[in-house]
Amino acid sequence: MSQAVVLPQVSDEVETTQPFACTVWNDPVNLMSYVTYVFMTYFNYAKLKAEELMLQVHHNGKAYVSYGDKEKIEKDVAAMHSYGLWATIEKAS
Amino acid sequence: MAHAFNRTITGKIIGRLDPVEQALLRSLLIQLASLLHKTDESENADPIAQLVGIQELAERPEDPALLRLFPDAYRDDESAANDFRRYTESGLRSQKTNRVDSAIAILDRADNKIELTYEEAQLMLGAMNDTRLVLASRLGLTNELNLDGLLAKESESGGPAHMYEWLTWLQETLVRAIADEKN
Repeated sequence: MSQAVVLPQVSDEVETTQPFACTVWNDPVNLMSYVTYVFMTYFNYAKLKAEELMLQVHHNGKAYVSYGDKEKIEKDVAAMHSYGLWATIEKAS
Repeated sequence: MAHAFNRTITGKIIGRLDPVEQALLRSLLIQLASLLHKTDESENADPIAQLVGIQELAERPEDPALLRLFPDAYRDDESAANDFRRYTESGLRSQKTNRVDSAIAILDRADNKIELTYEEAQLMLGAMNDTRLVLASRLGLTNELNLDGLLAKESESGGPAHMYEWLTWLQETLVRAIADEKN
């Protein structure tokens, strides 16, 4: 399990000092319960935060789920792919 | 309908599937395993690169199901996406292959009751999810609405859309049993 990442309390607030974001995209296959489980298990997020991010993915089509330098975000994206989530590396804007 | 997966008071996760359901789950997992094994090309010329999990030529999969298992990590930068693939795909493929092989081995040792530790339940969950991704891709399931249409078109309940729907239900009960343990 990865280390917990220090993130803004409000998850849609952008951490401008971190250049990259692990972005998870909505897809018709991954279950809402499973996506929440992945965010809790891999990022060690509390259930409430994991659910909030999952709902962002579901309703907005995508969510930035972690921020960091390129190396960290590539690691997070690879982990999301291992869970079967559709994730990409985006410049945090 | 079977109760599928529940967590016991001792923390084990127990799956109760009838023999037909167990055989169906096993055959779906075997299809995923054969897809992953088929593409597991160990013809890497550089043994050191192979050792550290770098592929000299990691090509973007043409099969949409494989592309869904190994998606592009960069959307608008082909060269960055290819680099990412070179460094990660081989490791990711072994991980997914080992996971589904383990899930099949768990089913092989199970009788009418599938007993899982927390770690085994996670392996099973990941393998089921990959199986659903492949099935959905084969079915052309591109949005949440067209499953009903696919189900209606199948004349009998043994068709692939029905299998997909059943596996979705099964995965939901497993993720709930696992999440119970975390809370």
